Amino acid sequence: MDFDFSDDQIQLREAVARWVDKAYSFDRRRQIAQAGGFSRQAYLEMAELGLTGLSVPAEHGGMGLGPVEAMVVMEELGRGLVLEPLAQALIAGLLLSTRAPKAIQEQWLPGVASGQTLMALAWQERSARHRPDVCQTQASTRDGAYRLQGSKHVVPAGDQAEGLIVSARLDGQIALFAVQAGASGLGRHGYNTQDGGRAADLHFEDTPAELITPEGLAALRHAVDLGAACVCAEAVAVMERSLDITCDYMKQRQQFGVPIASFQALRHRVADMKMQVELGRSMSYYAWLKLDAPEAERQQAIARAKVQLGQSMRFVGQQSVQLHGGIGVTDEYIISHCFKKLTQLELSFGDTLHHLGQVASAMEETAGVFN
Amino acid sequence: MDLAFTADELQFRDEVRTWVRDHLPQPIAEKVHQGLRLSREDMQAWAKILGSRGWLGHAWPQEFGGPGWNAVQRHLFEEECALAGAPRVVPFGPVMVAPVIMAFGSPEQQRRFLPGIASGEVWWSQGYSEPGSGSDLASLKTRAERRGDRFIVNGQKTWTTLGQYGDWIFCLVRTSLEGKPQTGISFLLIDMKSPGVSVRPIRLLDGECEVNEVWFDQVEVPAENLVGEENKGWTYAKYLLGHERTNIADVNRAKRELERLKRIARAEGVWDDWRFRDQIALLEVDVVALEMLVLRVLSAERAGKQSLDIAGLLKIRGSEIQQRYTELMMLAAGPSALPLIHEAMEAGWQGDQAGPLPAFPGGALHCAPLAPNYFNMRKTTIYGGSNEVQRNIVAQALLG
Repeated sequence: MDFDFSDDQIQLREAVARWVDKAYSFDRRRQIAQAGGFSRQAYLEMAELGLTGLSVPAEHGGMGLGPVEAMVVMEELGRGLVLEPLAQALIAGLLLSTRAPKAIQEQWLPGVASGQTLMALAWQERSARHRPDVCQTQASTRDGAYRLQGSKHVVPAGDQAEGLIVSARLDGQIALFAVQAGASGLGRHGYNTQDGGRAADLHFEDTPAELITPEGLAALRHAVDLGAACVCAEAVAVMERSLDITCDYMKQRQQFGVPIASFQALRHRVADMKMQVELGRSMSYYAWLKLDAPEAERQQAIARAKVQLGQSMRFVGQQSVQLHGGIGVTDEYIISHCFKKLTQLELSFGDTLHHLGQVASAMEETAGVFN
Repeated sequence: MDLAFTADELQFRDEVRTWVRDHLPQPIAEKVHQGLRLSREDMQAWAKILGSRGWLGHAWPQEFGGPGWNAVQRHLFEEECALAGAPRVVPFGPVMVAPVIMAFGSPEQQRRFLPGIASGEVWWSQGYSEPGSGSDLASLKTRAERRGDRFIVNGQKTWTTLGQYGDWIFCLVRTSLEGKPQTGISFLLIDMKSPGVSVRPIRLLDGECEVNEVWFDQVEVPAENLVGEENKGWTYAKYLLGHERTNIADVNRAKRELERLKRIARAEGVWDDWRFRDQIALLEVDVVALEMLVLRVLSAERAGKQSLDIAGLLKIRGSEIQQRYTELMMLAAGPSALPLIHEAMEAGWQGDQAGPLPAFPGGALHCAPLAPNYFNMRKTTIYGGSNEVQRNIVAQALLG
């Protein structure tokens, strides 16, 4: 049991941090948000660092790295409030390399790894809220080919992606399919999201698709758990940055002739924020270190982690704004963007109440980190 | 990064588990599992059993007879004790005064006092708080005046936990009125059988007498009982506070009590009430998060790194969780938590059946300790540096 990073992991972190500091300034981020919330250029810059191929096996042009490396990268991207959804590349790498037939792996994975192909996971439906097991999109076969019928909701960068991984019911069971962006009968409606990023609603009208796996629910749960872990790592870094910014502000902002950092009511709030950041960091570690555990153990860990992170990020986000006072609710100052990022993260890959329901249903007699 | 314990650590845990299960008297474990009253004999019996194995001072360095365990091993040992239902070791001797005597006491003091602490024979109490000195401990007034080869002590200590059983008490006393309050304090070891020492138990809100007032009236204390240098007591007290910070979170006990809460929720029929189940689930997440926090600190300590800046958070979170599980147990019982029958806090109490009605209302004997346990736990956010003081310390590190 240790929580130290290896030298390679530290170097990876530093490489990503350098790129964020140099290339992903607050101004650039603002321009990307105003231009629609997704920059192909920025995405390709991440690809040049190898990040899009992080979870893709080396034989398909990726780095084939593990969960801790992915966590390190997601933390640094979170710190920079990066809008481009790298989590989608991690998910595609995981799903295709572990669940897809060889032909589909060879067709998609090299592009995912190189960043030329963005693949987005289209799983949420309007009526399903956060549940992966609720799926009304239907798959059928005609002339030996699969066709999809239905709609998907709030797919990250869904109108920018070259490929989509779509959940649909095949003979009553949830299966996963790969769909080309240019496929016939695919309608895409893109929009900005609250954090400045981009998503799309998708409609499939007799859209051709290739089967990734007929055992789609288990695969989808795995993918959503990875997505939730990504959220945890990003949230830790956004919270930490929010706390740093807030502490700096409190030391220089003067009222009644003294820095507001001298007021005990505010100091205790900061202590409570620190508590939430560290509980959140602890549970992010926990989530990532359980990601390769057997399914039930993994799901339980992810649900527990997301409940903690959800509570932590709501508190830290709200209090960061509160402690700034008026400047905290402006668009020009960064703290409101941290808050909105945290808000969006809480609602992504299952919100707090959803995961609390998962924890409550799966509770057993004993509970702890190791059971 | 790795979450798993090593094979050696797991083997250590199994050995400790076997020993604890073999040696912990079951009647005592039953009381702990049910939240019933523990007698002085119960607490001391377990202390002596640990002492006989050399594990009462399980965090002591080997040169003083400790087992030489690292931070992770200590945690595993504490976990096995807690899960088995062992009473919490009364910390004042082995955990608090002993490290101070080791670090600052004379070889003579070490020879004289440490064996009795290690064996569990001598019961120590702590004389810190005074009626006028709580969070502002440095304002303490209990006076120790040097007269030749002895000190004459006058004053009053309070909130002295289990002081009614104490053989010895370590006290912070004022030996100088010069300079800052912190620089006039000394660390004195006092035999509680000395003439002029009187102890009055204070009945607390749960009906139990867990703390005491201790008066000192012209008490003569040999100067050889001064630890370290005169007027350096505050430094020693701070050293003591910095000692053993992970165990203050009491996460192992929280895991045991979470199990107890689930048993009670099932017995009381609220396990299937989703409003209630969600509250347990939230607590479960809190307990796991606290355990992860503790493991992070342990891993840093084992690696010999200065404890992370998160160690200060452990007391705050641990105490809040202790309060929360007792609160939920009481709420699970509902109205059955309300009957007040002090005798029902004793193990094995059956009472007299009142006609067709059971001795304990509703026959819900396991509900008897739930409200008292809840009331008792209000202390946890107050003692050991109130949680507000702890927040001051956390904020100080961030804001200066």
